[in-house]
Amino acid sequence: MKFSYNWLSELLDGALPGPAELTRLITMKTAECEGVEAFAPALAHAVAARVLEVTPIEGSHNVQARIDAGPVHGVKQVVCGAPNCRAGLVTAYLPAGAEIDGRVISKVTISGVESDGMLASAAELSINRDHSGILEIDIEPGSPLPGLAADHVIEVDNKSLTHRPDLWGHYGLAREIAAITGAKLKDPVKASLLPAGEPLYAVEIEDHSLSPRYSALVFENVTVQPSPLWLQARLEAAGMNAINNIVDVTNYIGAELAEPMHAFDADKLQGNTIYVRRAKSGEPYDALNGESYTLEPRHLVIADSGGAIALAGVIGGAGSAINSETTRIVLESANFDAACIRKTSAEMKLRTDASMRFEKAQDPKNTVRALARAIALFEIVSPGIRLHGGMIDNFKAPPAPAPITLPMEWLIRKLGRPIEAAEVRAILESLEFGVAESAPGVFEVTVPSWRATKDVTIKDDLLEEVGRMVGYSSIPPEPPLKPVQRPWVNHERLFHHDLRQKVAAQGFTETYNYSFVSEAMAARFGFTPDQHVHVLNPISVEQSLMRISLLPGIHRNIVDNARYSDEFRLFEIGNEIHKRQSNELPHEVPHLMAAIHTKADGSAAYYELKRLAECLMPGCEAAPASSLGYEHSARAAAITWRGREAGRIFELHPSLVESGRASVLDANLAVLFELGPAPKRYQPLRRFPSSSFDLSVVAGLRELTGDLGGRIRAAAGANCDSVEFLYSYQGHPLPDDKQSLSYRITVSAPDHTLSNEELTGIRAAIIEALKAAGYELRG
Amino acid sequence: MIESTLSELESRAAASIDAAATPDSLETARVEFLGRKGALASIGKDMGKLPPEQRAVVGKMLNAVKQSLESQFDSKKAAFDKAALDSRLAAEWLDVTRPAPGVRPGSLHPLTLIQRELEDYFTSLGFAVVDGPEVETEWHNFDALNIPATHPARDAQDTFWVEGGHVLRTHTSPVQVRAMEKFGAPLRIIAPGRVFRNEEVDASHEHTFYQLEGMMIDRDVSIAHMLYFMKGLLEAIFSREVTVRLRPGFFPFVEPGFELDIQCLICGGPGCPVCKQSGWVELLPCGLVHPNVLRAGGIDPDQWNGFAFGLGLTRLVMMRYAIDDIRHLASGDLRFLRQF
Ligand SMILES: [Zn+2]
Repeated sequence: MKFSYNWLSELLDGALPGPAELTRLITMKTAECEGVEAFAPALAHAVAARVLEVTPIEGSHNVQARIDAGPVHGVKQVVCGAPNCRAGLVTAYLPAGAEIDGRVISKVTISGVESDGMLASAAELSINRDHSGILEIDIEPGSPLPGLAADHVIEVDNKSLTHRPDLWGHYGLAREIAAITGAKLKDPVKASLLPAGEPLYAVEIEDHSLSPRYSALVFENVTVQPSPLWLQARLEAAGMNAINNIVDVTNYIGAELAEPMHAFDADKLQGNTIYVRRAKSGEPYDALNGESYTLEPRHLVIADSGGAIALAGVIGGAGSAINSETTRIVLESANFDAACIRKTSAEMKLRTDASMRFEKAQDPKNTVRALARAIALFEIVSPGIRLHGGMIDNFKAPPAPAPITLPMEWLIRKLGRPIEAAEVRAILESLEFGVAESAPGVFEVTVPSWRATKDVTIKDDLLEEVGRMVGYSSIPPEPPLKPVQRPWVNHERLFHHDLRQKVAAQGFTETYNYSFVSEAMAARFGFTPDQHVHVLNPISVEQSLMRISLLPGIHRNIVDNARYSDEFRLFEIGNEIHKRQSNELPHEVPHLMAAIHTKADGSAAYYELKRLAECLMPGCEAAPASSLGYEHSARAAAITWRGREAGRIFELHPSLVESGRASVLDANLAVLFELGPAPKRYQPLRRFPSSSFDLSVVAGLRELTGDLGGRIRAAAGANCDSVEFLYSYQGHPLPDDKQSLSYRITVSAPDHTLSNEELTGIRAAIIEALKAAGYELRG
Repeated sequence: MIESTLSELESRAAASIDAAATPDSLETARVEFLGRKGALASIGKDMGKLPPEQRAVVGKMLNAVKQSLESQFDSKKAAFDKAALDSRLAAEWLDVTRPAPGVRPGSLHPLTLIQRELEDYFTSLGFAVVDGPEVETEWHNFDALNIPATHPARDAQDTFWVEGGHVLRTHTSPVQVRAMEKFGAPLRIIAPGRVFRNEEVDASHEHTFYQLEGMMIDRDVSIAHMLYFMKGLLEAIFSREVTVRLRPGFFPFVEPGFELDIQCLICGGPGCPVCKQSGWVELLPCGLVHPNVLRAGGIDPDQWNGFAFGLGLTRLVMMRYAIDDIRHLASGDLRFLRQF
């Protein structure tokens, strides 16, 4: 929302701080200002000038003009490119030194002719957006442009006005400034202007909860014409376009009093009753913006006996719009339910100045104030205009809210600093709250109507009023004196942090990937869209699904980084999001995914990941698993840890990695956390020495080292401490289809040193078992 | 007679030891003169033939010669040993500038680093670290936070909707409600985590970013208490004294609501591009918890109250490490990530 400093000043009596300081004060006490900018600074220098003589310049569309700029500037020569530059015209002259568009005008030579200053268009002067020619006015040369002055525009962040219906107009902000600075607020509204007598139209409101009030006036003898320049400039400063005097006045009052208004051409209305009703199902509606809409009962309309003439609080209808022929108008000033307007405007994607104000819950008492203000302004912009009939007003006032009880001791405890009751009263009264002391130290506070629609309802809201006005900087930070409590410990989160540390220590760098995947991305890994939770309103297809695996993200990391690096390690800890039945929230399962990319044959990377798995899950086991589509069909394993399936280690299918090979460890952290750290319990150290012997077993080339080790262990009996794989060997004298696998077997007994006989016995038992299973032993 | 033999032997042996050029020739000399079957030993054997009174004299001489020769031998041997060791050491020269083999430790994401730091800080103040789901119910994300469906504040948060009427949480604030439901009052929690906004991505906007929510509920919590925690938090983050200002800010789940700004750490106040020339950087929206939110969490607002705040972790990380493009954080680019 843009606020004109001059406009605000006009609504206040008393000296105001300069624009920059005022902006800072508004930010600190009321609402966040995004900035303050000089607006139309050229108007500080502009004067009227009469064109005396125009001479064409050869080879240029510009002309050389001699002008009379009044007694101060005298006669000057300027170069002008405007088509309407002609002798006798009175226009705006900017002398050297004036500023437009951030540059200072100086004496220059244009088309070979010296130009001392310039003649300006209304757009160049920021009066309106008319670039078609220089300004045409009818005043004495040398005099300043009437009602026009250099201004500043303060831009307030709309988000910080969400809860303040009153601040959607200059008058509301002026009231704040009055409270902040002590200046006196001047009400531009003269209620006495409102006409008494019978109104021309009846108003029927179907549901007062959707429209608590509908007020209107009928004017006749209207002249539709451009607004005076000062009014156009005000609209321009507030970010609006001047259209014609009638529309401009409604927009002006919107920006001043925050009351959106609408003017209908009275001669285009049918019947003598205005209806405020729900639309009929399928009711057609042609809006001012040239679009046609089909309405439903959830939409509120203003209608005459012929049908909808306005989409209430959002946009007027094309059929009743005013134009240059209009001579009679119905001026609507109504109040609508914020939620209803908001829903309609969101659904239709029609964010108008009116809907933006109504959805903040405007004050129903404001409708007639706006009408009174319109009477005064119309008299200025449309001379000869007359009221026709009395004021139309249908109002079912909602019950007045009860006063809010505000105990001083509560206020002080919440504020965290002392404050005198008198100061609290003064602050609230400066904001026009009604304050009565119902008991010593207890105020009963009545909320003014413009704050009562939803903004201020509880004493906490009053705490804010007092706090912001005394200034939050006056509150010294203070440690609370509260009982100590031992906080709940989030073991799962600590576990994840611990894992991150461990995995990083093993050489892996942490990445954060999006929770989104595209359908195409998912399809590369064989995931189908229906497995995923869908985002209903993605910005792009990249965000259409929620990931059910970290793999698409990790894969992208691999492919991207392979452009710069041959060998690298990375990992992510994040949630898989799995669909659940019905409308339950999805199941979020934390996973760890670690990957190694290499140019080498990949087996070392694979085993490195297996080592990483063992670091995280001591004693975990890998077993060959039937591969998933994205896995290398001969390099995929399922990891079990303490009897639970805990993850997989696989090499990515070569079709997914063209730059080399990538191995991946995927661990389900929900399972890891559930299992917890392996229980630790002290075992007495063996008092008697252990003995070791090595065995080399001839086996097939695809014999699983782990399985054969398991056989040995089983055959070695209870005194076996460990079976450790040493190495494999292929070649002479073994046949081509055989390898030898060597193991070291360590044995000991808890109560004595194993004798030679016992050792021989264990060895023999193992050999026998292996031979029985069809294995031969080497050397 | 035997004395002259002995002295002649001594000088011969000494010459041999002296002349030995290698440990082997030294050993040969030792065996020849000092060995069990060596020259001195055979003189010792012959001594038995001497008369007893002469035997004692010769015995003494023999010992003296033996000791002298042994000592010569030992020092010569020590010299050889030292030379051998020196030459071995010299041969074992290492190029200490060569790069060490093996994998280097990886690194943690800067968002992890800042989360851990803040978790430690708040844990030290008695706060629990709480998690909430990334896909959240509409009720927890909005309604329970005093943002009904028709509230214009919903516009400010471009929400991703998913099936089942759920949302990708637009802030970490729903964890406030979940924590109240789980723990009741009194309560001190923080909730760091991933949040989502339906926004186009550019150098300063992301659809996925990180926040840290905080909440304290107790009896008679004041704005002054909140300020104490907020100022401490900022000083912990920036490891220096910071100047803050508190101004009104509107968030439906707090009343009053504030924006806490810190004086720009880059320019110190006069204005620079980082602070958009204002001298202040908006960092920490906060406020006293709205009674409706306490009620939604099952806490009686007449008995308890508190403050809540939301810290933009992504923003903080960018400020802390002077990262100029938010997209780096989710890029997975190791050239970026390895810097932390
Ligand atoms: Zn700065």
